[in-house]
This record gives sequence, structure tokens and C-alpha cells, in this order.
Amino acid sequence: MKMNKGKESHLNGNWKDQATVFVLNNKALVILVALVCVAGIITSGVFFKYSNLSSVVRQSAVAAIIGIGFTVVLGGGGIDLSVGNMLGLVGVLFALWSKELPLAAAIILALLVGLVCGTINGLITVKLNLPAFLVTLATSQIFLGAAYIVTDGKMVSELSKEVAFIGQGIVLWVIPFSLVIMLALAFIVAIIMYRTKYGRHVIATGGNPDAAMVSGISVDKIKISVYTIMGVCAALGGIVLTGRTALATAGAGDGMEMDAIAAVVIGGTPMSGGKVKVGGTIFGCLTMGIMNNLLNLAGVSSFWQNVAKGCIIILAILLDAQTEAFFNRRRKTSVIN
Amino acid sequence: MAEKLLELKEITKRFPGVLALDHVQLEIQRGEVLALCGENGAGKSTLMKVLLGAYQSDEGTMVFKGRPYKPKSPSDALNMGISMIHQEISLVHTMTVMENIWIGREDKFTKHGIIDTKEMEEATKRLLDEYEIDLNPYTTVSHLSIANMQLVEILRAVSYDSDVIIMDEPTSALTNKEVDKLYHMIRTLSEKGTAIIYISHKLDEVFEISDRITVLRDGKYIVTLQTNGTDEEQLVSYMVGRELSDIFHKEDVEPGEIALEVEGISREGYFENISFQVRKGEVLGFCGLMGSGRTEIMQAIYAIDKADSGMVKVNGKEVHIHTPKDAIRNRIGMVTEDRLRKGVIHHLPVKTNMTLAYLDSICKFGFIDFHREQSDFEKYAKALNIKYASGEQEIGVLSGGNQQKVIIGKWLLTNPEILILDEPTRGIDVGAKAEIYRLIHELAAQGKAIIIVSSELPELMGVSDRILVIHQGSITGELERQEFDEKSLMAYAFGISKNQKEKK
Repeated sequence: MKMNKGKESHLNGNWKDQATVFVLNNKALVILVALVCVAGIITSGVFFKYSNLSSVVRQSAVAAIIGIGFTVVLGGGGIDLSVGNMLGLVGVLFALWSKELPLAAAIILALLVGLVCGTINGLITVKLNLPAFLVTLATSQIFLGAAYIVTDGKMVSELSKEVAFIGQGIVLWVIPFSLVIMLALAFIVAIIMYRTKYGRHVIATGGNPDAAMVSGISVDKIKISVYTIMGVCAALGGIVLTGRTALATAGAGDGMEMDAIAAVVIGGTPMSGGKVKVGGTIFGCLTMGIMNNLLNLAGVSSFWQNVAKGCIIILAILLDAQTEAFFNRRRKTSVIN
Repeated sequence: MAEKLLELKEITKRFPGVLALDHVQLEIQRGEVLALCGENGAGKSTLMKVLLGAYQSDEGTMVFKGRPYKPKSPSDALNMGISMIHQEISLVHTMTVMENIWIGREDKFTKHGIIDTKEMEEATKRLLDEYEIDLNPYTTVSHLSIANMQLVEILRAVSYDSDVIIMDEPTSALTNKEVDKLYHMIRTLSEKGTAIIYISHKLDEVFEISDRITVLRDGKYIVTLQTNGTDEEQLVSYMVGRELSDIFHKEDVEPGEIALEVEGISREGYFENISFQVRKGEVLGFCGLMGSGRTEIMQAIYAIDKADSGMVKVNGKEVHIHTPKDAIRNRIGMVTEDRLRKGVIHHLPVKTNMTLAYLDSICKFGFIDFHREQSDFEKYAKALNIKYASGEQEIGVLSGGNQQKVIIGKWLLTNPEILILDEPTRGIDVGAKAEIYRLIHELAAQGKAIIIVSSELPELMGVSDRILVIHQGSITGELERQEFDEKSLMAYAFGISKNQKEKK
């Protein structure tokens, strides 16, 4: 029996191999589909109710907006642990400004704050040649502190209907507005990453900065710019989150960087840089969102949800490592001379 | 009468779709140095992996010390007495020399769970003395030069007291001084009865150190030669399976105007007051020992490093090159010495690697013209005879020679006037080398100015019109093609003589 199996796998090696490659390259999509099926069954359909689905989508939208930025940072060979608290800072500033300024002005200012915060991360990391991991861990504390200072530790509430619409609104009868924002951002970032010279330069820099430099790429500028993009995405996330909850607190984004890392890695963007999977990130975020939703529906306490989330992140990293190992093995056995 | 130590018979290894080894044989005696030669892909590494137990052969037998030998893993092979020194250095940089040598074997020096450092030090010193290597057992490896790291790596393999040691390109990171030390080590080992399997692309080494040479080609056993009964030409023809008398065939190109002029560039600690010119259609060779500063000069011209002073002129006009980007703008291209670190981007597709440097010329408003990218890629991949399955395939799966051709293609796409090639054929097989030489001649014939840096003298003398020799950061010699001679080049390279021609 065993012998037979061996022969079979040799004969079918090709399509099995291809199937494995497809699954590993699109693991987020596969997990997502499986999860949706499971969700439908164990909740006996409650999961598929519009009210539930739209709340999953709204929650996932904020995570996906940050995740898209994070995809770019990781792809360019960086990492940004300050996104959660950056989002919190932008959220409270946006909430405060929306009370005094026209909405458009508040949005633009908020995005500018994100842009500046992100660029500061990039400048410190690149110009002073410090590890991004530690730099952003430190700036994260600065952003958190700044958010507490501007709010004096109080929550900002009683926001306008327009602000709430950004996070809660529905367009075309059924589509959450935040989903539209998220998809638009994904579309723009995907175009930039896959079709433009800039995108190529980011991926090349993440893949091998020395080779990129020799090829005439301004590696430093590229490295700084991915943090700038991250900052803008975090700001957008802050705006949408503030809208969704119709209030803003300094610590609103606490821990979101971890969700982002998990979602991005599940989506197939490796921690080591040189690969960008925008679509994968969205699937990864939906996966995380559905996970949370299922745990909620199942009545699991939020304390246990944290434990679950941590476990999922470990699984995601494990999956990432296994994927790399698989491709390395393939590389070794399929060298072309 | 020499004792037969290891014999491999009729070894066959298949991978899906590939016959990697086809009834290959190999035989080695006690105390013998056997060189294993062949182009990349000839099956050398696969054969060594079978010998080490990393792969299991599909057919064939192995007899080691008179007994059937069937290792299941490299550690199995190690326990039975066969060890291997790999091309890559695999030391723990934060640990000391002796900790690295005895890593995994601390038990030897452990009493009641505590490592006896003194005893470990003694053992290390005995080893260092035996092979006359001057290193402090307590030095942290990260403080060593690459060459010394390689020596530690070799010492570690030797310390297992194996009967057979496989050395795969052991000199790739060594300077001439350490190569001599390695030869000394090999001779000491062989006197003790250890057999060495020596894999190298450098034929001069093969002739220097080996007793016999076994040649593989396309996964087949070709021949085993007595080293002192053959010569390089014969060996190469066995390796490539055809005569390569025209490998260095050079057409006369009338050099044109001066393309690049370097005036008095210096970088403290690396090189001083370097001046030279290259004409259009000329191939200028740079010769020098490793560490002489030749690579640093090229990196300064190309602005990978910064020069302290000096001037660079392109087509007679002074240019200011601060970044490689500026260099490309001035139509200078550079194939760097270190293909893995500064050349390829491993995880990116073949096509993306090739088109990376010329994207500017196929972009509209920052958007890449994919159609042109694809057609240009196919054109150059064909012209360079690159073997690949698809442009979307990761470059890492290509052989070294094909990777190098992709990198050269990257520069050809930028349409450079001046092309700097730093060790363009290192670690690639003879067939690919010949193609790169042919390409160099074609480019020169098109009027491009070419600078080539190489450690291999026959290669330099074969392709260059003129050679400059660098010794300790200064130009010590300049020879025209008709004056080329290995001895005088070496004399300049070692700083024994000088003939810097006076330039006006």
C-alpha cells in the first residue's frame, strides 16, 4: 500500500505540486473560504445575516486599511509597530478638529498628521540607521502620549453625523461606506505597487537593498517613503474608526499593529520583505475579522479572545515559515542549469 | 601500494524529469587528493550529496573502508568518517574561534555539565599548531576577516579526524596567503592518510594540489586523469566536451576616443592617486591580489563608496557621480563582484531582476509599459542565451552562470557606454564563461568601453587590450596586449617591480 502511494505521488507530483503552490500563494483566500463555510454551519446561518456580515465588514475595513499600509512597509523591508497608537493619535485629533473645522479640512489635516508621523518614523530609521523595530516601538509611546496630552485623557464624543457616516454609512442600499474606502485604497495601492516604477523599486529595496542601490535606486528615499505611506494609511484608519464608533479615545488603536502583522502575514506578504500582496492582506483581515466575529457569536469572553488572537498570530507566523521552507526545498530540487 | 579507501560504482540519481547522475563512478585512495571537475550542473554537488547521505541514490553502490556504505544523513556520514567543507561560511559570529570549532561536541570537554574551557583551549591550540594557523582561540569570530573565518570553518571540518574530507570551492574567500596555508593543511592531512575530494572551478588550484582529476559532464562520468599527465587545455576540453581553442578569440577593434578618464582619485586606506583612461572599443583589464584595492577603485567610480578626492571625466567632460543613479545617468554600468549580495534580488522574478535598472526608459508617468518590458526581456534573454523556464520564475533557481547573464542583461538594457565588470565569471562554469568572453568582445566591437577586474590571469590576458596592475592601492604596472605575460603581471601585483608609464 505504501509503495503504491509512493508511485502515485511521483506520477501525480506535478499537479499536486502545483496545487500546493497555489494554496501556499493564496493561503489567505483558502483559509477565508474554509472559515466562511465553517462559520455558516456552526452558527446555523446567523453568520450570513446582513446585520452580522456588515458589522464584520465594517470592523475588518479599519484593520484592512492599516494592513494595506503595513503590506507596503513589510514589502519594502521595514516594520512599523507604531501604527496602532498613530491611529489613536490621528483619531482624537480628527475628532477634535471635526467639531471646529469643515469636515474636509479636518480630514486633510488628519491625513497630513499621519503623513508627518510616518515620515518621522522613516527619517529616524533610515537617516540615523537605527532598527525600525525599536524606533517605532519608541515613537509608538510618543504618539500614545501625545494623544493623551491633546485629549487630557478624556474621550472625544458627540461627533457630527457626517463623521459617523464615514464609519457607519451605507451607500447603494447595502454597501458599507468604509468598505468602499478600503477597496479604493487597496485598488490605488495595488496599482502603485504592481504597475509603477515606484512599486518595483519598493519591492527591489525590500528584496535586496544593496542590489537595488547598485541598480540606481535611491534606496533611502524608498525606505522613508514606505513609512510615509504607512502613516497616511494609519491616519485613514483613524478617521474611519472614529466614524465607526462615533467617538475617539487616545488608546483606540492599541494593539492594532499586532492584528495588522497577523493579517498581512496570513495574506502572504513575508516578514522578510521583497514581496507585496495587497489582495492577500484584505483576505487576511477578513479572516481575522470573521474569527473575532465567530468568537463573539459563540459567546467567548473578550479575555479569551485575546488568547485566541495570540494563538492565531503564532499559527500565521508558523505558516509563513513553513511556506518559505517549502519554496526553499523546491528551489533546491528544481535548479535549472 | 595505495589502499583503496572509497569507491562509488554506477551511482544513478533521478529527480522528477531530470537524470542528475547517470552511472557515475569515483574512486579515492588513502592520502590522495582527488579533484572533482565539471561545469555547474555536471552533477558534482549531487554526487557529493549522495556521498554525504543528503540524497539517497536510486542505483549503485558505495564501498568505504572495505565495507558497504549507506549513509542516511550528513551526520551519519560524519560519524562514519566523511566530512565536508561548504562554500558558504556557517559560523556563529558571536561566538569565539574555539567555541565554533567544537560546536555540537562540547561533551568532549564537559564535566558534570560544566564545560572545561582550559581543556577546550588546549585542544584548539593543538589543532592550530598542527596546521600552523595563527589565530587566538578566544577571538570572537565576527572580528575575523572573511579569509580567517573560512580557515576556522576548514579547521572545524578537519577536527573531526575524518578519513575523507570534501572541500567545495574552499578558496572562494581566501587570499593568496591563506590559500598557501590551505595547501599546507591539505598536504599535512594527506600525509596522515586523509583523502581529500577537492572541488574547484579554479584550474590552477586543481593542478597545484591534486594527484588525480575526475571529470563529470551532464551527470555522466567522463574520465579520471593523472594530474601530472595532463594540462589545462585537455582538462577543459573534457569538461565542456568540445575544443575551446577559440574561447579567447579576440577581434581587433580600433580603439576610439577616450570614454572614461579617471584623474587622481584616492580613498584613504584603500587606494591612492589612481589615474587611467579607457577608450571606446577598448577592454581594460585590472589585475591585482585580493585586497589590493581594485574592487574599491571600481566601487568609488561607480559611487558605491565615496572617494576622498579626484576627478572622473566621461567623454571628456567632468562628471559628479554621487550615487549609482548618477553613474547610470552618465551611461556607466557595473556588474558587481558579489553577485549574491549586490547583484541579484533572490526572491524576485528573472524578468524583474533584469529590467530593474532601465525602468525609467519604459515608464510613462511612472507606469511601466509591461508589453515593452516583456519584449525587451525576451530579446536580451535570447541574445544572452539565458536558460530559464519563465520570466516570472524566481532568479534564485537559475544556475550561477545564468544569474550572471541576467545581471549583465540588466546593464545592457540601460545601454551603457562604459561597462565595469568586477569578477564577472566568478563561480560560473566554463561554458558560461566562454559566452561572457564572447559578449565582452561583441560589446567592445560595438564601441563600448569595458573595464574588467579579475583574479584569473588567463582570463584577463585573454580578454583585455591593456592591463593595469594594482598593488596596495597604487598602479604598479601597465602592459599592452603584446607584452602580456603571467610572470611580469604577478611581479607587479606583488609589488616586486614597477613600470607605471608616464602620462602627460
